[in-house]
Amino acid sequence: MQPIKKGSLILKMVLLVSLTIASSCKKYLDIIPDNIPTLDNAFTMRSEAEKYLYTCYSYMPKDGNLGSDPAILGGDEMWAIYNPPRPEFNHYIFNLARGTQATIDPIAGYYWGDLYRGIRDCNIFLENVGKVPDLTAQERAQWIAEVKFLKAYYHFYLVRMYGPVPIIKENLPIDVSIDKVKVSRDPVDDCFAYIVQLLNEAKDDLPLIVGDPTKMLGRITKPIAYALKAKVLVTAASPLFNGNSDMGSLKNKDGKSLFSSAVSTVKWDSAAVACKKAIDICHQAGNKLYVFNPAVSPYKLTDSTKTTMSIRNAFAEKWNSEVIWANSQSISNLTQKVAAVNVDFRYIDNPRIMSELAPPIKIAEMFYSDKGVPITEDKTWNKDKLTLRTATVAEQRYIRKDYTTSAINFDREPRFYANLGFDGGVWYGQGSYDDTNPSSLYYVSSRKGQPDGKTQPDYGSPTGYFVKKYVHYQNVQGAGVSDYTVNEYPWPLIRLAQLYLMYAESLNEIAGPTAEVHQYINLVRERAGLKSVQVSWDNYSNNPTKYSTLTGMREIIHQEELIEMAFEGSRFWDLRRWKEAIPQFRKPVQGWDIEQANPDFYYRRKVLFDQSFGLKDYFWPIKDGDILVNRNLVQNIGW
Amino acid sequence: MLILFAFLVLGAAGYAAAEGKKMKSFNEKYQQRVVIGTVFDESGGALPGVTIKIQGTERGAVTNSEGKYTIQINNTSDVLVFSFIGYISQKIVIGEKKTLDVKLLPDPKNALDEVSVVAFGVQKKESVIGSITTVKPGDLKIPSSNLTASLAGRVAGMIAYQRSGEPGRDNADFFIRGITTFGNNTRPLILIDGIELSTTDLARLQPDDIATFSIMKDATATALYGARGANGVILVTTKQGQAGKAKISFRAENSASTPTSNVEFADPVTYMKLSNEAVATRDPLMPLPYSEEKIVNTAAGKNPLVYPANDWRKMLFKDYALNQRYNLSASGGGTVARYFVSGAFNKDNGILKVDNKNNFNNNIDLKSYTLRSNVNIDLTKSTELIVRLSGNFDDYNGPLEGGEEMYRRVVRSNPVLFPAYYPVDAQHQFVKHIMFGNYGKDAGYLNPYADLVRGYKSESRSQMLAAIEIKQGLDGILKGLSIRSMINLTRTSSFSYRRGYDPFYYQLAGYDSQTDQYQISQINDNGKEYLGFEQGQNNLMATFDTQSMLNYNRTFGKKNAVSGLLVYLTRGSLSANAGDLQKSLPFRNMGISGRATYSYDRKYFAEFNFGYNGSERFAEAHRFGFFPSAGVAWSVSNEKFFEPLKKVVSNLRFRYTYGLVGNDQIGDVSDRFFYLSNVDMNNGTRGARFGKELNEYKNGVLINRYANEDISWEVAKKQNMAMEISLFGKANIIAEYYTEKRDKILMSRAAIPSTMGLSADTKANLGKASGQGIDLSIDMQHAWNKDLWLSVRGNFTYAKSKYVAFEEPQYAESYRSRIGQSINQEYGYIAERLFIDDQDARNSPKQEFVGDYGGGDIKYLDVNGDGKINEADKVPIGNPTVPEVIYGFGFSLSYKRFDISAFVQGSSNQSFWIDQGATSPFNNQTQLLKAYADSHWSEENRNIYAIWPRLSPTLNANNNNQSTWFMRDASFLRLKQVELGYTFSKRLVERIKASSFRVYVSGSNLLLFSKFKMWDAEMAGNGLGYPIQKVFNVGLNLTFN
Repeated sequence: MQPIKKGSLILKMVLLVSLTIASSCKKYLDIIPDNIPTLDNAFTMRSEAEKYLYTCYSYMPKDGNLGSDPAILGGDEMWAIYNPPRPEFNHYIFNLARGTQATIDPIAGYYWGDLYRGIRDCNIFLENVGKVPDLTAQERAQWIAEVKFLKAYYHFYLVRMYGPVPIIKENLPIDVSIDKVKVSRDPVDDCFAYIVQLLNEAKDDLPLIVGDPTKMLGRITKPIAYALKAKVLVTAASPLFNGNSDMGSLKNKDGKSLFSSAVSTVKWDSAAVACKKAIDICHQAGNKLYVFNPAVSPYKLTDSTKTTMSIRNAFAEKWNSEVIWANSQSISNLTQKVAAVNVDFRYIDNPRIMSELAPPIKIAEMFYSDKGVPITEDKTWNKDKLTLRTATVAEQRYIRKDYTTSAINFDREPRFYANLGFDGGVWYGQGSYDDTNPSSLYYVSSRKGQPDGKTQPDYGSPTGYFVKKYVHYQNVQGAGVSDYTVNEYPWPLIRLAQLYLMYAESLNEIAGPTAEVHQYINLVRERAGLKSVQVSWDNYSNNPTKYSTLTGMREIIHQEELIEMAFEGSRFWDLRRWKEAIPQFRKPVQGWDIEQANPDFYYRRKVLFDQSFGLKDYFWPIKDGDILVNRNLVQNIGW
Repeated sequence: MLILFAFLVLGAAGYAAAEGKKMKSFNEKYQQRVVIGTVFDESGGALPGVTIKIQGTERGAVTNSEGKYTIQINNTSDVLVFSFIGYISQKIVIGEKKTLDVKLLPDPKNALDEVSVVAFGVQKKESVIGSITTVKPGDLKIPSSNLTASLAGRVAGMIAYQRSGEPGRDNADFFIRGITTFGNNTRPLILIDGIELSTTDLARLQPDDIATFSIMKDATATALYGARGANGVILVTTKQGQAGKAKISFRAENSASTPTSNVEFADPVTYMKLSNEAVATRDPLMPLPYSEEKIVNTAAGKNPLVYPANDWRKMLFKDYALNQRYNLSASGGGTVARYFVSGAFNKDNGILKVDNKNNFNNNIDLKSYTLRSNVNIDLTKSTELIVRLSGNFDDYNGPLEGGEEMYRRVVRSNPVLFPAYYPVDAQHQFVKHIMFGNYGKDAGYLNPYADLVRGYKSESRSQMLAAIEIKQGLDGILKGLSIRSMINLTRTSSFSYRRGYDPFYYQLAGYDSQTDQYQISQINDNGKEYLGFEQGQNNLMATFDTQSMLNYNRTFGKKNAVSGLLVYLTRGSLSANAGDLQKSLPFRNMGISGRATYSYDRKYFAEFNFGYNGSERFAEAHRFGFFPSAGVAWSVSNEKFFEPLKKVVSNLRFRYTYGLVGNDQIGDVSDRFFYLSNVDMNNGTRGARFGKELNEYKNGVLINRYANEDISWEVAKKQNMAMEISLFGKANIIAEYYTEKRDKILMSRAAIPSTMGLSADTKANLGKASGQGIDLSIDMQHAWNKDLWLSVRGNFTYAKSKYVAFEEPQYAESYRSRIGQSINQEYGYIAERLFIDDQDARNSPKQEFVGDYGGGDIKYLDVNGDGKINEADKVPIGNPTVPEVIYGFGFSLSYKRFDISAFVQGSSNQSFWIDQGATSPFNNQTQLLKAYADSHWSEENRNIYAIWPRLSPTLNANNNNQSTWFMRDASFLRLKQVELGYTFSKRLVERIKASSFRVYVSGSNLLLFSKFKMWDAEMAGNGLGYPIQKVFNVGLNLTFN
């Protein structure tokens, strides 16, 4: 072959290849296949839309979570180890209790972003669920109601933290102008009105009980919606939101007042109506106060054990009859481990049991005496709290026989023993259930050098008290280094007992103590093994007529609520809505001198911390960064 | 576009003047005599291929493979001109000589004096208008297996630094003319033989294989790369065979490496004492972590198993490691085909120790192999076929967590809690495993020794490239026209696995100080005595490149030179382990680009370039971008009026260019398709749980990206001004000044409040930045005589950037705005001093950090005077974190058979921060740095300017802020390289049948000068990582012809 010919052949080939490549030019960059998932795909069929429904639920704040719920370690109900070297959970929220809230990056400030994201997803769901073809009308209505409920709850959570917040009724499009995205805060009354409106829209499309409990327990039902509405209206009627004159100067940039300074008693009327309605619906759905009555117990239990177990299980037994709403997005597991005590002395090296959650002495003192009245009012109760006492046979189901402990741990109401663990205190359960043989029951011994004494920097109660309420009685320690079986439960958000107390509170605020007020508080007291308010105060209080006045009864109801709902994340918000946080939070956090082995020295009060709480602390600060981005947001007062 | 360009080229041809004059007829005079001789290179080796011409005639000769030549001359006044690419031409009057041996010295300007590599081709050096720096491949030879380690200070216009010395993880960071974008991609485009490759591929390239190494900096030089060239281009070509006898070259090096510096820790006794102080000073009620008894007995050196005092670093790391490098290449060819074949083997070891109780190696051992074969075949007189095959292969073995992490773990390990391991005692005589020490209920403390020796990780990476290229001259159609096509296939694969056992931990159970008897007990029961296996990540990548080029190059008459180029290219790649649908779609680019140049009489030059590129990342309406650029140059020294000055100023030239270049790598890979929303329809974090047994869990939906059709390229507008000047033919200076404006930088919208509830940032091409700087390079060379010559070179790069447009919140304080600040500017608090006491802290503006603070903690300045210290008091502090100035200078001196060279490199205008969190002593068992032990605030010694504030057992939130307190100056000057060589005499070399033989010793990173002493300042904020290595090296270089 001639060289030139060969060359021209190659040339032709090269040109051909180049042309082929060039001709496919436009297609070359067109690589996106159809059916790339977009938001539309979420609403083309029922099963995908159901995932979006779950997405709306996924923003539920994790109540009871030690690392994120401000109501657990951010208040004054519990103390913990400050900066443990190797923490099992993030102690960041504990700084709230230690008074270092700041506007740079507010503690628990992530709820602002998270909940608004949740609200956006709720709105997306509401905008699109109509498109799903294979959804029955009834199911569609129910899903819409669930999502409206969640949208209401997310707004409510924000209002509880921040006071007046921007209401997001509808989503703004992504490419909306910058001016439009800079929303302002809405007056707090408007916020509550919108939340109630959503709940009203939702409540009657919800089922009385879930259709399939094995798959759906935890989903929103009619009782839950009614109960939340009651809680929202009670909150709206409470002093923090009802004519709070301290907040009178909180105004938007355009001068619009965010708090009305006039007290409105009508708010209590609607709260009472909502509470009663909710109670009725809950009864209709089969909710009742929980009573411990194991069907197949091998042991014949004493009444005192049954009472304390009723109190413990009303909280820690999953889906018990009293729980109206439990948050299945927040399951108590780590919290139980951090609360539990190494009562089985064979396995004290178990690193899963941290015993770290420590109620201060003021919380131990909050519980009533065994006569059902505050220890400060009880005429019969031992006044000398500093003396030591040794438990006798009569007390051995509460305190280990022959064990010496502080006198304030004696002669207390069953809720004291059901809620708290303490040095010498009997801890029923954890594998030992025969209370006819009290010496076989576990107990706590937490002085220095004892099995539950604080030995390592990561473990042990800094006050000498422990939260028994969190720990399910059937959790068992095992022989393995890290064996600890936890009976998980979804965190209860509303219990029937609280609904009763809120109803009593609302009625009392309207017209003072009526028979109905006493009736509902006494239902709760009865389950707690206490006599009625009237009997208790008449016979044992040094202020026997307290329950007959509005203010006296208010005090009684408040304390009853704090005791009944102890450690459930209620106190944190209740003290705020009552505007009672300043006196309560300014009490010092005290514990026993846990570094001592001898009871004479152990039972000396030691101040762990002086908490501070000011007017500004009633509401969260809005993060500096959020205000920088949106200058229409006004900061809360004091921040 | 294509038509337009064709029109342009043809039009230029139309203007063309008449054909060049016919060659002068030969001087037919009687050839008087013959001169013979040999031409040598600077190291005494024979130089084949040197052109010898008699000045003023067309007569010439070429040296053969032994460097010998024969030429017939006319008379004694003839002047012989010896010239060779990359070397300085010599003119010698022949006189009466019959033999004439000549030594040619390399041209200091660059290896290729006459032509310079430009985008998609070469140009005559004197006609290049764009800003291109070429580096002599020899300058890249440092005793390291990582080519990128040699870049800092060698290249005018490149900002480079190295942060780690870990084999296989020690790639330097380098940026051409600094960083002018705050978008996703700041890296230059790396092209090796025209194919886009990664930094690691550049790192593995053998300097011996490199023919040219060029950096393209301005718009004219990079415009042809269109949407990919905005951050500059590094263009490397590998060697090709030269016709002639086979030339075999062999190089072997053996080196020892050792850290340039190590972070110093306080001794264990001081650690315990100050640990106690840290607890007591913060909370006097807290129990102290270490008893007096433990401190006293540790200090007394009592039983080290009971009173351990570990120097973890000594236990984990050796003093030095030995590394080897070998390179063998063969090249040659005949009239039809030429070849260049090379192979290289590098072995780099880490400095980690291995426990002899294990039978495996957990030290870093990186073996890398490179094979390369470039073959050029002349199919016809005008057709050339080039086949390039290359592969590089890494086999890595190293500790489970990597070398860097082992260094970091040492810092986080308590030195006194337990020994690394307990010896076998009577009670445990049947134990087969190492009894590692630990402490506490769950053995939760770091035992770095256990972490190091408990297993190893293996990784393997292979990359194969196969390219075929055809060049066809088309003089038959149009003189000066040629066409070229290339197809390249790249396959990259890697896999890794881990083998290791779970350690058993033991702790002290009892000790009798009277008898010195101790007992130990096992802590965990979940250890293993045998190895476990864990499969790592496997990656596969396939890339397909095509390039087609039409080239036109011709001189009309004597003075008008035109050239034109049209390129069409596509690139597509696919990843097998993409992980999600959008990432699994092919990555594609295509483009047409072109260049037209015109020069008149070697005085006036003009050039126009364009790139028209498309990327699959953008919506159809914005898929293609057009990037034009133009430049002019004036060679003043070629003007008639300049003649009188030429003796002093042998060359003077001015250049100016302006143009656009793009950057399509504007987002993360996971963020490729901005015009599509990205919805995760099965997201675990957005799921919910229900049901009686709490086991009904379904995933939810998460929007990861909101669609935005308008997102497009980032565009750079670049302007370059340059002056080239040569003095006395010896010193060459190139000074360039550039400005750059980056437009349409992709950034997250900052103006969207969280009440919008977006689950992903929205982004837009809103950012703007600008940059400016100076590149300066100087080289000089002088030969006193045949035996002594010296060359000196230096370069200097200054690159400064700033934000021009940046969407940010509406700050009340102007200093918080980024606009006007450098792109790598850090913000922080101004630390005034430490608080004198708690009283002082209470009386100062409230510092709003989560946590307590008091005396001895850092006092910050209330910049806006609002009585509190918070975000609003953060101001720009220090210099940028990427140096603005990089410079280097060095010399090479050759005397007879000896040669010596040294190179010094420096960096300045850079700040870094000591990681106060990672060095916070006692926090999570962190060790105590000696510098902190020596200088900290204590109640006895209230030094308010101590290095470390009041001790604390945990991280103190007040002190753990970016502030001026921990800011340091990263400026340094280092003796980067010294080399001393000896070339054996010809006589000796011929005995081993070789043509040249050189041995040398060299060292790198030998000395460091910096204000900062705690670690190597070049590592900046990464000081706790694997240190930069100092290397001592011996090598030999053997060539056979």
